[in-house]
Amino acid sequence: MTTRRLIVEPRGLASARLVVLVPVLSVLAALVLGAVFLALTGENPWTVYSKMVDAAFGDSRGISETLISATPLILTGVAAAVAFKMLVWNIGAEGQFLFGAIFAAGVGIWLGDGLPAIIALPLVILAGAVGGAFLASISAIPRVYLGTNEIITTLMLNFIALAFMNYLIFGSNSPWRDSAVSTFPQGRPLPDSGRIPEFFNRLDYGLFVAIALAVVAWVMIEKSRWGFEVRVVGDSANTARYAGIGVPRKILGVFLLSGAFAGLAGSLFVAGPVGALDPRSLDLNLGFTGIIVAALARLNPIAVVPVAVLMGALNNAGPSLQSIGVPPETVTMLQGAILVFAVAGEFFIANRVRRPDKETTVATTGEATA
Amino acid sequence: MNDWWWVSTLAFGIGLGTPLVFATLGEIITERAGILNLGVQGTMLVGAVAGFWATFNTGGGFGLFLGVIAAVIAGALISIIHAVLSITLRVSQIVSGLALTLFGTGLASFLGKAGADPLVGEPSRATFQPILEGGIAEWPLVGPLIFGHDILVYVGVLAAVATSYYLFHTRMGLSLRSVGEDPASAESAGINVARVRYIHVMVGGALSGLGGAYFALKIVPTWQDDPIGAAGWIAIALVILSSWRPYRALFVAYAFGFAQFLELRLQTLGEPWNSIPSTLLAMIPFILAIVAMIVVASGKRARQLGAPAALAIPYFREQR
Repeated sequence: MTTRRLIVEPRGLASARLVVLVPVLSVLAALVLGAVFLALTGENPWTVYSKMVDAAFGDSRGISETLISATPLILTGVAAAVAFKMLVWNIGAEGQFLFGAIFAAGVGIWLGDGLPAIIALPLVILAGAVGGAFLASISAIPRVYLGTNEIITTLMLNFIALAFMNYLIFGSNSPWRDSAVSTFPQGRPLPDSGRIPEFFNRLDYGLFVAIALAVVAWVMIEKSRWGFEVRVVGDSANTARYAGIGVPRKILGVFLLSGAFAGLAGSLFVAGPVGALDPRSLDLNLGFTGIIVAALARLNPIAVVPVAVLMGALNNAGPSLQSIGVPPETVTMLQGAILVFAVAGEFFIANRVRRPDKETTVATTGEATA
Repeated sequence: MNDWWWVSTLAFGIGLGTPLVFATLGEIITERAGILNLGVQGTMLVGAVAGFWATFNTGGGFGLFLGVIAAVIAGALISIIHAVLSITLRVSQIVSGLALTLFGTGLASFLGKAGADPLVGEPSRATFQPILEGGIAEWPLVGPLIFGHDILVYVGVLAAVATSYYLFHTRMGLSLRSVGEDPASAESAGINVARVRYIHVMVGGALSGLGGAYFALKIVPTWQDDPIGAAGWIAIALVILSSWRPYRALFVAYAFGFAQFLELRLQTLGEPWNSIPSTLLAMIPFILAIVAMIVVASGKRARQLGAPAALAIPYFREQR
């Protein structure tokens, strides 16, 4: 007998249950894989995982810190979701996040304490969007008008942005650097009028801004005419051209919008919990983690919110592992594994895998004998 | 020795370029089979930690040999993740490669710090040393440039020669290229597309792993969280800049190694060079890559350079 190959068929529209079930299973699979590596290095996975849950959700401080970590991830997640939906491969949320932070801190410091918060704070936050979109434009314009591969330029700009931030704080006497502190270079604190007020431990209202922006992104992509045209371009650039949609302008728009969201993540983080352009508090891979968030949320900006809370919980739990002698990098490994399984899950959402039908086999054999 | 600073700078550039040679050759092989693997950075890190660990637990010249073997095997094995996702499950190769990089990066950091005696902060028990000391290795110019290197530098050159021969002068190389250009036709000619792609994703991973190990066993021979910088990402750009050709890969990899070494070198040259902040110099290789990408490989030119036609396009056997 010949080996029976499994049959793979496109599923068409997947059921809502499946769309939720597959990402949940991806996370569980990643936790199982993580448990294997923890066990191999002599740790008890159960102890490690309970410690993480306890650190992330155990008390009101843990919960507020989890939500603080989640806030920028909502926006870097939306940044990746918006771009990837249209097959614009913006891998530069990391750098755009940093440029958002640089612009926001710059505007906050430049405005000083002269303006009331009601004017200063929106300017600081918007500056982040401008900063992110600016960095994205360096990749977006060559992509749209020259056809330059944006994967590589956005990636390279991540490192340039990081070096530029380090230059502003460690390599120069820029206005971003705190001249009052001479022992170790650090960022100059933003004036109070440029800071987002806190309401629950250290948690600030930036969380709600991020959630509102995710909803705005969802409406733009799913409900507006612009979003419809963008989705057509994402499905097939040729169809879009025949339909008279200006493809280059759509790509440029999505690219800059994606950069703006990542930049807003930076400005909310600087105007919120960090309060200064502080390289050690900003170089946290939040842009790359946003790609994991977007993939697990299946590029849906609304679904990005709960997924960002999950990733924020992991980020928040990492450092607590040191107290039980487990490397905090357990979390990075788990997040990477979650992405691997989430990506694999896409196959099972898009396709149905089944054994060849018994009846068909019987029928063909019957035919042959008859 | 001579004190022409630029000769030693070029020589060090060759050293710093060698891991890029391995990773770029690996990615060329993978992309020639039609698979874009953005997992190079993660694969290199896994190779680095595997190589460092193997050498650390043995030591000596044989330990270095075991380190190289471990890195090659680890690189090939971890890249199976990308092969399964992109070839069998046919998901977006871009997202799949990023997944490999993020998982590999996390795994390497985790393994470097986990366990009762973590590797982090430990110096390597053996490092690659120049093969020749004195004699022709001290001749002016050619000494440091050609004869003063360790064995892996020469292995890198040989790997470029071998890759070029393999791609353009063997039957397997022809199959590989046809799979990357037109998988449907290759399939009708009796080539097992999936198998050819699996093999060459793993070969590419093996070379990336070796490149990672060269960092941990030579360039930064103490285990730290991020021993390779952005080498894996740069290698992906170098594939395009080398127009998918092994000999050019050698050249561009050394050029980038040189650009990276310049950053360290300018600090020692006195006024006015040492007044340039190192944070700005750190941008040089990346700016170089972006400018080169825009000038050399924009639009149709990337295809004319030799980009495989089926690169990054999932192949649906059933839907031919």
